[in-house]
Amino acid sequence: MAKAVDPTAAFFSELATRSHDPLLRKASGATRFDIVDGRRIRRWYLSIDKGDISVATKASGETSCIIRADKAVFDRIAAGKLNAVAAVLRGDLVVDGDWRLLVRLQRLFPSPPRRRRK
Amino acid sequence: MNDGLVKILDGNTFVVSDERGDIEASLTDPTGLFSFDTRFLSRWVLTVNGERLNPLSVDDLQYFETRFFLVPGTGTVYIDAKLSVIRQRAVSTGFHEKLTILNHADKAVSLEVRVDAGCDFADLFEVKDALKKKGTYSAKTERRKLTLGYERGPFARATEISASAPARYDDKGLTFKVRIPAHGEWTTHIDVVTGLLGAGQAPLERQDPDRVLARMRRNLERWLDEAPRVESDRDHLRATYRRSLVDLAALRFSPPIAGGQALPAAGLPWFMTMFGRDSIFTSLQALPFTPELAATTLRALGDWQGVRSDDFRDEDPGRILHEMRYGEMTAFEERPHSPYYGSVDATPLYVVLLDEYERWTGDRALVRELEVEARAALNWIDEYADLRGTGYIWYQRRNEESGLENQCWKDSWDSISYRDGSLPGFPRATCELQGYAYDAKVRGARLAREIWKDVELAERLERDAADLKRRFNRDYWVEDDEYFAIALDQDGRQVDALSSNNGHLLWSGIVDKSKAKAVARHLLGPRLFSGWGVRTLAAGEARYNPIGYHTGTVWPFDNSFIAWGLRRYGFKAEAAEIAAGILDAAEFFDGRLPEAFGGYPREQTKYPVQYPTACSPQAWSTGTPLLLLRTMLGLEPQGEHLIVDPALPSDIKHLELLDIPGRWGRMDAFGRGRVDVRR
Repeated sequence: MAKAVDPTAAFFSELATRSHDPLLRKASGATRFDIVDGRRIRRWYLSIDKGDISVATKASGETSCIIRADKAVFDRIAAGKLNAVAAVLRGDLVVDGDWRLLVRLQRLFPSPPRRRRK
Repeated sequence: MNDGLVKILDGNTFVVSDERGDIEASLTDPTGLFSFDTRFLSRWVLTVNGERLNPLSVDDLQYFETRFFLVPGTGTVYIDAKLSVIRQRAVSTGFHEKLTILNHADKAVSLEVRVDAGCDFADLFEVKDALKKKGTYSAKTERRKLTLGYERGPFARATEISASAPARYDDKGLTFKVRIPAHGEWTTHIDVVTGLLGAGQAPLERQDPDRVLARMRRNLERWLDEAPRVESDRDHLRATYRRSLVDLAALRFSPPIAGGQALPAAGLPWFMTMFGRDSIFTSLQALPFTPELAATTLRALGDWQGVRSDDFRDEDPGRILHEMRYGEMTAFEERPHSPYYGSVDATPLYVVLLDEYERWTGDRALVRELEVEARAALNWIDEYADLRGTGYIWYQRRNEESGLENQCWKDSWDSISYRDGSLPGFPRATCELQGYAYDAKVRGARLAREIWKDVELAERLERDAADLKRRFNRDYWVEDDEYFAIALDQDGRQVDALSSNNGHLLWSGIVDKSKAKAVARHLLGPRLFSGWGVRTLAAGEARYNPIGYHTGTVWPFDNSFIAWGLRRYGFKAEAAEIAAGILDAAEFFDGRLPEAFGGYPREQTKYPVQYPTACSPQAWSTGTPLLLLRTMLGLEPQGEHLIVDPALPSDIKHLELLDIPGRWGRMDAFGRGRVDVRR
């Protein structure tokens, strides 16, 4: 096994490989993610144009929504271990800007690890 | 109001107080100022010179504002009072209270006016279940305001209290020193502002109360203006209709994501939030009157449609949510409501509503816009809901701690029983779910063929629907007494009690024509029909109890869909009889039908006995008179036209519904009472 991956970075690089997601076909707008890692802020820019997705680490144009979280929190969301909406209600994930975009974006986060009944 | 509580609301912000306007909530008590499922004031008590006040009268001005007339002193003293106090309160982002004191004496008075304020910041779930808080409280006083706060880690909520007149603020309220001249008056405006989502980051915003009120008044006027008009010789019908429209306006709720559009929340006070099932049923009832509610419901529920497999939330891809909450317990994942998906009827009903909406409005654009969601919902029925692989919708919660056991509308623990009263295990496949699935497939096929232009899907859905209908009429039919069993149990055996669910089956169209007559006979027969309406569970079943929540009470909403079902199979007189019973009952409740009332025979009690419940008005009870107007007039869209085929109880001499909106523009419908009902 390789050493533990960075779930946040893995999440964004996986996103970058999807060029289009029909779940986001009604979404358009650019979101900046500020992931606070100690004193450092790592940034990703996610822009969506009717479901067409592009991910960058540099700004290009205006953002309509800024999402900010500690890296520890975002790692858990990116791994499906923490529900993004609950994190927003809690104040762990801070949204500044267009709320509707968040409602669409929360669809991108993965399922939690399954607890199989069988 | 009959529970002695005064309720005003706007969206999911509401105030419940006593008749003085005071709030003295304990943890288990549902009074207070609530917003986003959190209590923002649990204490709000007005005194004058240390004395509590007495109510003379309460004016419910609108659903969002009320006025309390008060006098100092207790009991017998007040007729002689030299002071009057008027509290006028309106809900906005929190509430606004205009406090006026009139001095009737011919000399000046000096008064100490005090408002005690306090807050427990309870989550609605905590109020319902009496749970203890885990965070810390704070109170901060400044020269012109008091801020009450609550924090648990990053979670922060705050209530800010400020008055226009000079006051001394302390941690537990504010005090005014007032001198009022002879025959003079004194007024102050008090604002209570709540810190909502993102509190701690976003500053609390005080809105100009006059502008907020003016906006709400205009909005209500427009709502009433745009709805069709009812004319009838029966005054109570007009009154009930107006009550329903106003209550429906009050129950509108704009979730932060709906872009200012509104959908019906489920009920006050516990259920001022988005519910899949309730919002869909209410939108269906209101379609001929306010079709825009359906459009918003479809969009908002589509936005939140499940995409993951999440056991805690009982979420699957394509599943329509059950309930959304914003409080502390949801935030900390102590409850799964962010949102919770544990309902199995909302998903097929979503497709039913989409199709019915298009039939009324001709809004094909929305059907195209929601194609992905509707397809995912149809897919969920086959891929995720068939837990036994038998071609039926089953339910069994995956969240065994805080998930819902019964995921159909009869969601109480003992609602699904055999004749002998024993309860089946899980999973369960209640009968009405199969009807909804059938209807979703038939309607989905129409949308696929006519609008999505996918003939292959349409044909598959039609084949599936026909197959489902055939199997259902075989597997659920109770031969010896000729009705449909309430459910199949985990072994596929019939859960054989006779229940009102049979009426929903007529509504869905899944019932073989040859069986419909027997079903209708049961629905209007002595075991199910009380004289007011159809009981949830038939008299004679072991668990029958006329005041059992889902085991014998009469639910107005249930009856409105049963009446629709009877019309669908051509039983016009039977549908009229149910409409007559429920609308008569409405008269006893001043036009506001409760969630449920007792299943006692009508001739025994003479009036409908209300089931004790804290939830009123409730959306689908509010929508009931609307759907009954539709069934009595026999309104049915057909192509670009509206068919009118009235069958009214004979005590309604004439009924007109004017300006019915739809794909035809606006149309009028008329009917005369010709159906003799039994009374």
